[in-house]
Amino acid sequence: MEMIGHGGKPLVERVIADKTEAKKKIAGLKTMPASRQMATECISIGYGFFSPLEGFMKRADVDAVCKKMELADGTLWSIPIVFDISDKEIADYGVKEGESILLTYDDNPLAIFEVEEIFTYPKDEMAFDVYGTKEDKHPGVARTYAYKDKFLGGKITLVNEPKIREPFTPYFLTPRQHRMKFKELGWQRIVAHQTRNVPHSGHEWLMKHAYIAAHGELPVESMEVIGKAISGVLVNCIVGEKRAGDYIDEAIVLTQDGLKKHGYFREDIHMTTMTFWDMRYAGPKEAVHHSIIRANLGLTHHMFGRDHAGVGTYYESYEAHRLLMSIPREKLFITPIFVLEWVYCPHCGEVTCIGLCGHWNEHQKFSGTKIRSILIDEVKPTRLIFRPEIFDIVMDAAKKYGFGSPFVTPEYLAKAKPAFSIEPL
Amino acid sequence: MAETYPINIWINEERFKELQAAGLADLLKEELAGMKVLAVPCTAEERDKVLKLFPMAKFDAATTKSIELLPKYVKDKIYEMVVKRKKLQVMSEFCQLFEKAGDAFWNQEIA
Repeated sequence: MEMIGHGGKPLVERVIADKTEAKKKIAGLKTMPASRQMATECISIGYGFFSPLEGFMKRADVDAVCKKMELADGTLWSIPIVFDISDKEIADYGVKEGESILLTYDDNPLAIFEVEEIFTYPKDEMAFDVYGTKEDKHPGVARTYAYKDKFLGGKITLVNEPKIREPFTPYFLTPRQHRMKFKELGWQRIVAHQTRNVPHSGHEWLMKHAYIAAHGELPVESMEVIGKAISGVLVNCIVGEKRAGDYIDEAIVLTQDGLKKHGYFREDIHMTTMTFWDMRYAGPKEAVHHSIIRANLGLTHHMFGRDHAGVGTYYESYEAHRLLMSIPREKLFITPIFVLEWVYCPHCGEVTCIGLCGHWNEHQKFSGTKIRSILIDEVKPTRLIFRPEIFDIVMDAAKKYGFGSPFVTPEYLAKAKPAFSIEPL
Repeated sequence: MAETYPINIWINEERFKELQAAGLADLLKEELAGMKVLAVPCTAEERDKVLKLFPMAKFDAATTKSIELLPKYVKDKIYEMVVKRKKLQVMSEFCQLFEKAGDAFWNQEIA
């Protein structure tokens, strides 16, 4: 069955699952190692997370993305997906336009790269166009400046599927697998919650708000089977490069799933999965990118809250909402749901939406910084702001995976195993 | 009054009782649905000193203007000092003692 992805185009699936065939295809190819970022992006391209991209961008696409927020063919796209390389590597590995090379990871075959173009692009322009700043304090800008001087564009075919390690194994689904799961669940509308956080009650209410908004005019439950949900929330955790102080990925995935396991969401309306992506912190542009990925997963709606994917003070709190609202509906293949912040109101004695409650002066905001501080102190928060079972999962994940901390530490960065490996073919 | 930058130490039930018994419960603030916090202030100079002595810590300039990511053992020691001195303004002395004793400080009792 053909599946339609972002841009209204068929979902890209460039994977050779048959190992014998893969071995034949790679025989005799020159090999070149891929960095962790490039390897994860090969995986995302191969499975179609980045549909309609079939490979790393060529110059025309990069230029169109930077200048017009679209691919060369006019499809909405906000962040360049590029493969950087140095002149020395081009020479050492004998990379040539019009030839294919085999990318390896962990010294094992990963993907065939049909190199169509070797090009340069001014990195400062790319940074400014995507991030709105040239300051290298911005992590996305720093990443762009760190790219090597040349880029390779061309198609990618995954020849060796990644092995996902525990505890992530059940949470990694390809776009096709996501869609099959939604079908099995009978969900007609599915709203994405993008996260790289352990959930506090403010997050929980954002999801509930988005679920109700996405569900819209549909009946409360299926007419045919009483008690069967027909809409769902997909928590799609971003798993990728970490910075000191971030939550460890294991804690994020396990706690998000914990909301369902402990009944804060019904079993049949909530699901947690993960997507490999190194956050660029591009704020509004990253929000567009997230909407593209989630459209490819088969979702119908995407929730966007305050400070979506931003960093520091580079973007205004609701800049992502404004950018998404400015995009013609026919170019965005998912319906955005814009939500305001949820806060604790001592006057109401409950968690409430800042846009509904009139006790402005009394609101206590769910600052992520404060929640982190509470977790560092290992003080179990009141259940109104943080579910006790979720606290226990965080502490357990800290012991099992975080070398004692639920946050990324230098020790975690040095010793934690990547979420995936590439095994011998 | 010069601006100060807090180190937030969150208080569990056990510590709350300890502070009540010592007559120090009025040092606490309530935040986030009744959670109790000791906001130990740092002057700008003390803040910079703390960030230098504990490089893993970060100053949240964007939102809370507080010093974050200090490890629990450091915050536990600050708490101990607040209880001993019966006041919140302890960070200057805290930094001095740590500079003098180094890592041995963590095993010393606050005099």
